[in-house]
Formats: sequence, C-alpha cells, structure tokens
Amino acid sequence: MTGSRAMRRRLANWLFVGLCGLATAIALGLLVAILWTLVSRGISGLGLVLFTLDQPAPGSHGGLRNAIVGSLIMCGMGMAAALVIGILAGTWLAEYAPGTRAATVVRFLNDVLLSAPSILIGLFVYELLVAPFGGFSGYAGAVALAFVATPIVVRTTEDILLLQPAALREAGMALGAGRALVIRRIVWRAARTGLLTGGLLGFARISGETAPLLFTSLGNQFFNADPSQPMASLPTTIFQFALSAYDEWQSLAWAGALLIAAAVLVVNIVGRILARESHSL
Amino acid sequence: MASLFASAGAERQKPSEALFRFACAAAATLLMTALAGIVVSLAIGGWPAFRAFGPAFLFTATWNPVTEVYGAAGPIVGTLLTASIALGFALPLALGVAIFLVEFCPAPLAAPLAVAIELLAGIPSIVYGMWGLFVLAPWFAEHVQLPIALSTVPGSWADAFFSGTPNGANIFTAALVLAVMILPYMAAVFRELFLTVPPQVREAAYGLGCTPLEVVRSITIPSVRRGMIGVIMLGLGRALGETMAVTFIIGNAHAMPRSLFDGGATIASTIANEFTEATGALHEASLVALGLILFLMTFGVLALARTLLRTDDR
Amino acid sequence: MPMTAPELITEPDPAKVVLETRGLDFFYGETQALFGVDLAVERNRITALIGPSGCGKSTLLRAINRIYALYPGQRAEGTIRLDGEDILATTHLSALRARIGMVFQKPTPFPMSIYDNVAFGVRLADKKPKAEMDGIVEHALRRAALWDEVKDQLAKSGLGLSGGQQQRLCVARGLAVSPQVLLLDEPASALDPISTAKLEQTLFELKRDVTIVMVTHNLQQASRISDHTGFLYLGRMVEFGPTDALFSKPRSTQTRDYLTGRFG
Repeated sequence: MTGSRAMRRRLANWLFVGLCGLATAIALGLLVAILWTLVSRGISGLGLVLFTLDQPAPGSHGGLRNAIVGSLIMCGMGMAAALVIGILAGTWLAEYAPGTRAATVVRFLNDVLLSAPSILIGLFVYELLVAPFGGFSGYAGAVALAFVATPIVVRTTEDILLLQPAALREAGMALGAGRALVIRRIVWRAARTGLLTGGLLGFARISGETAPLLFTSLGNQFFNADPSQPMASLPTTIFQFALSAYDEWQSLAWAGALLIAAAVLVVNIVGRILARESHSL
Repeated sequence: MASLFASAGAERQKPSEALFRFACAAAATLLMTALAGIVVSLAIGGWPAFRAFGPAFLFTATWNPVTEVYGAAGPIVGTLLTASIALGFALPLALGVAIFLVEFCPAPLAAPLAVAIELLAGIPSIVYGMWGLFVLAPWFAEHVQLPIALSTVPGSWADAFFSGTPNGANIFTAALVLAVMILPYMAAVFRELFLTVPPQVREAAYGLGCTPLEVVRSITIPSVRRGMIGVIMLGLGRALGETMAVTFIIGNAHAMPRSLFDGGATIASTIANEFTEATGALHEASLVALGLILFLMTFGVLALARTLLRTDDR
Repeated sequence: MPMTAPELITEPDPAKVVLETRGLDFFYGETQALFGVDLAVERNRITALIGPSGCGKSTLLRAINRIYALYPGQRAEGTIRLDGEDILATTHLSALRARIGMVFQKPTPFPMSIYDNVAFGVRLADKKPKAEMDGIVEHALRRAALWDEVKDQLAKSGLGLSGGQQQRLCVARGLAVSPQVLLLDEPASALDPISTAKLEQTLFELKRDVTIVMVTHNLQQASRISDHTGFLYLGRMVEFGPTDALFSKPRSTQTRDYLTGRFG
C-alpha cells in the first residue's frame, strides 16, 4: 500500500513539474515568436534614413524623423516633470510622512494610478488641457506622459529612500543640519543611482505609450519641434501606419516598433544594472 | 488634508526647511489631485450622455453616430469578455512559469529567465498589437476559423461560439493577444510573490520528505493566497484597460457580439478609435462616459488588488 | 597605550559637570524606556554607559542630543542640562546638535569626498575661506588620527575607506564643528580588534579638549578607557561612579552579577 502511495505521489509530482515546464516553454515560445516577428520585419527598415527623413506620403520613400523627434521632446519634457514631482512626492512618503494615515492614502492612490489604464489619462488631459485651451499640442502630450511616469518615480523613490540607513540621516542631523538639508545633500546623494533607475524605468514605460497621446498630441505628419503645436510621436505614427493599407507605411511601422522595443529594452537593462549596483553598495 | 503639512517635531525651522517640506507635501497632494481629477473630468465630460440616455446607456447596445443614439453594452461586454478570456489563458501559464522559475528551474538558468520575463513585461503593448494584427489574425483565420466555419452546420449550437467573418479579427483573438501581453507581467509578479515565502519554511517541508508539488500546494500557495488573488486582479486590471494590444485586432464592431469569433469592441478600443473623430457633442460625451465606466471598473479591481497585495508584503 | 600619570578619579565634581540628566524618563510611544535616570558627566572625561541589550543606554545617548525628535511619538521628560542650559526646552535643535557630536554604531560616511565629509558640518554654520576650511579639515582629521592615512586622497569618496577608517572619519566629522561633547554609540562594535585599538587610543587622546560619552557593550573597553561608568538595567541607572570603583567594588548586586557575566 505504502509503495503504491509513494508511486502516486511521485507520478503526481512529475506530472506537475512537467506541466510547469510546459507552461514555461509555451510562454517563452510565444514571446520569442513575437520578438522574432518584430526583428525579422523591422530590421530591413532600420537605417540612417529612418532618422534623417520625415514620414513619407503613401507610396513614397521616407523615414520617421518627425515622429522620433516628437517622441524625444514629449518624453523628455514629461519625464522632467515626472522626476520633479515624483521624487518630491516619494520623498514626502519616505521622509516626512511614514506611518501617517495621509501617507497610506497617497501610497494607495499612487499604486492605483500606477496601473490605471493609460487611455483614461489621455482623456483626462484632453478634458484638462486640450478642450479648454483650444487644441492638441506637444505640451498636452508631455503632460499626459508625465502623469503616466510620475507614479513609477514615486514608487521607486520611496522604496530606494527607505533602503537608506536611518543612521545616515541621524548622523547628518547630529551635526546640526536640518531635515531638508540632510535629505537633499546626503540621502538623495546616497540614493542617486536608485533615483536614476526610477527615472529610467519611467522613461522606458512612457516611450512606448500610445494611448495617452492619441487625443493630446494627436500626431503630425510634418516635422515640428514646437510643443505648442500638434506633435508626431513614434507610437501614434506606428499605430497609424500599421493600420494603413500601404506596404511602405507598414514596413516603417515595423521598423519604428523595433526601434521603440529596442530602446525600451536597453533603457530597462541599464536601469537594472544601475539598480543592482546601488543595492550592492 | 491638513495632516499633510503637520510638523512632526517642535523644531524651529529655517524657511528653506519649511519650503522644502511644503514642496514635497505639495507634490504628494498633486498626485492625489490627479486621480481625483481623472474621476471628476470624466464625470463632467460624460454627464451629457448619462443625462440623455439614463441607465439605458449601460444596458443597450445601439451605437449609432448618425441617429445620435448611444448604448455602452457592446463595449462593456466586449471588455469583460476579452479580459476574462485573456485571464483564463494567462493565469495557468503565468502560474506555471512562476512556479517553474522558483521551484524547479536549475539555478544558473533561473536568474536570466526571470530577467528575460521581466524585460518582456516591459515591451510596449503596441508591439503585441502589431503581432496580433499581422501574424496571429491571418494564421487564426486560415487555420482555425475557416476549418471550423466549413465544418459547422449553420444554426447549430456551435454558432454561439464560432460564427463570424473568418478574418481573424474578433473577440477571441483579441483576448489571445491580451493573454500573451499580460502573461510575462503576471509571471513576473507571481514570481516575486512566491519569493516572499521564507526559504527556511520551504526547506523544512522538503526536509520532511515533501515532493515539490506538495511543497507548492501546501506551503507556498497557502502562505501567499491573498497575494495571489491580488496578482490576478492586477492582471485583470491590466487586461481591462489595455488599449493598443486590442484595438488592432478586435474588429471594432459596436453591436453586442454574437459569438466569440465575432468582431467586437472594448471600451478602450472604442475610445481610441473614435474620440478624435467624434461627430458631435453627444458622441464625445458618450465616449467620455465609457471612459468613466472603465475607470470605475479598473479602480475597483486595482483597489482590491493593492489591498490584497499590501497585507501580504507589509 | 600611552597612559598619563595615574590620577585619582572620584565621583563627578559638581563644579566640573558639563552635562547632566535629572529624573529623565523616555517614551517610545506608550512604552517607557528610561525611568528617572540621573547622570553627571564631567568635563574632559570619558564616561561609559554599560548594560545588557535593551537596557536603555543607547536611548539615553539619543536623548542627550535630541536625535529622537526625528521620530514622532518618541519623547523625553525630566531635565537634561548642557552647561546649565535645559536641552529639553530648547527649540534650537540644530544649534544644540552642533554642540554635541555623535558617532554611530556603524560608520556613517556621507556619499561625498573625505574632505566634504569633514567640512559638511562646518559649512552648515557659515561659509569659510578655502584656506581656513583646509586648516579645519586637516586639524579634525589629525585629531581623529586619520590624517596620515588619507592626506593624499581627500577628494576621494569617503565610502572607499575601510570600516575603521570610516569610523574615524565620522569622529573627525564630529570634531570639525568643535563640539563640547562627543557621543559615541558602540563605536567599535562593527570594527576589528586593530581598528578598535586605534579608535580607543584616538578617544583617549581626544579627552584633552572634548568631553566624551560612549555606550559600549564591551566591558573591557569601558574599563580600559573610561573615567566614569554608569550601569543601566531595565531603563534605570543602577549604579554610577568612577570606573575603577564600579568594576572592582560594585555596590549593587545587579552590577556585580552583570560584571561577572551572570546575565546580559
């Protein structure tokens, strides 16, 4: 009897291990398939032209310069705003408010905002900026992206600041420094790689965001570096081109998608390496 | 809100100290205001639609810009259907991956695989959407839909699941793309959750002669049960609100879907497709009202998720 | 260790007391951690606080420069006087803390250069010309017996030093603001024996111009370098007196039991 029971346990276990392994194989297989599609269809479109020419009219030859520049401008502005607000708010959570009710509420709402559908952030900014102030603009796009990135920065800032030893703060205060000075001059400095990681993760996230830009920056088929006007971005241009019927546009869409995915991967990997270094210090 | 600015000690502060503290509190306040702002702006923007159609807005499936009659039932059902099918596919796979990585995977492979999964979770969703449009949809149309359409008798029970234009753009394929998209995300969060179980406890169970299955079933999973529901809710929240992975492939039909293989729409895809081309004030208001419904759905799910996860990890 | 001529240490002379606590109670929220603690610290002496873990010796130290005020819910009642001024009543916490230096259990170098570490506290008070600052930094590092080891790498990060060097850097940082009192919270507990010996020698030489209060769990260390010793147990000052007397003829049985290793 015990023999057959042991056998049953072993069998069940092997079945379980096998299923878990199978799940992993399926998952990895699917993801490899997607990456393969992305690379094989996008690689041919990658080239200098992509960065030097603006988007073409249907049926003609071109690049994605206007979209790349628009994305960089809006992501840059959005990220700058997100870093300022996110680091300050994260600092408030970690340094001024731990244990308070207000901190619990803010942290909770931040977590919700972190995974809120980004298209709703687009709608919100449309109602906030586009509708009242007459028109789509790069600024509106940047604000929408800032709302997407800020919760990420808040979260990583709070986490990384809480990792800094209390004795470091006390040592600063014990010399007679005020709390704000200790935070700015010592704690932020000790945590700077971690803060940078938060910024990079946020940047990676918003550089692929499409939905918040659809009704804020709208898109622009021409080159435009003036954020007060509608502005092209890589994701919205890809969206438009992928759904078009023209081969040139579709292959540009793939090239753009590969570009974004590669950029996001690189930024994420750099962020990870930095994070590992800051944790090992 | 007064407590945000309350001073912790009776310290006499320099102006720069108070200013910095104020800036930090103001940033936190701004963050809270943002969330409140989303609700308020969606409620205000969507109000004309709720006023015009009343509760019927939620329960009717007419979506007609010409006659200016709008009902949200189609997109609502499409959203719930795609998200739950996606969760149905992604959940067992994500659990399998996470358990494999934590319990069985040879150590030198586990770390790089885990990193790879997390990196894949960061790939922009538009990439998943394009894969769905250009690869999954044609394949599905040719190898699944067409054979089934050819072999089912019209009017039979199977129509309820499988009828529809065999072009691969339908609720089911949209759900598949969503599943593939939330899979690495859920797997990564599950893995993190499982790693919070103290290794000593698991080792003790192995020391008693438990098989890995028994350790997972009686130690790992029970100790993070609440957290697991939290992760599932997170995945669901992600699937409910995802725009780009779905918009490419769902077919964008606003009527109530007749089968799983019929074209449909989700709230997010409807907004993405129509908002900039809204024909009139009521059309735009109806789209914003859809947004409010989506917000309330995801807020509920995400609030639940965060509550469940927090009690586990703090 | 270069000992000066043996001198007779007596009970603290009221005329020479620079820092004292009277009936000090301390609370972590609802929990009381100190009960009516009296302590008298004589100028230019090393006063050691000993006792088992959780007895309140670190708490006492943290009350003296009011570093506890960082944390809501922690409070002290009673009196603490520095040169006759009531510390618990002051609202000039920054000024107070500049007069009382503190060195922590683990080294706490700031993430900046060695030079900037030492200059940090000085710069808080006022902006000094470069030459004067150089002099202050060198003097502080010399007094902390670190100058010879770091004089060629002042621009390098303080994080790159060894544990013992980091701890002496923290001592130098505390000394640079010329405090009256230096508080040390188990400063040698994270150090190896050689670094510990070096730190002890530094402290011994420092007492010529600064008053030192140190918490230690190392009884030999207390008996080696301190002039007065206080034994705390369960939040009360059980016995306080000249170190020699306390170690050789403890008046209380609790002290005797602790010194002979019956508990703690």
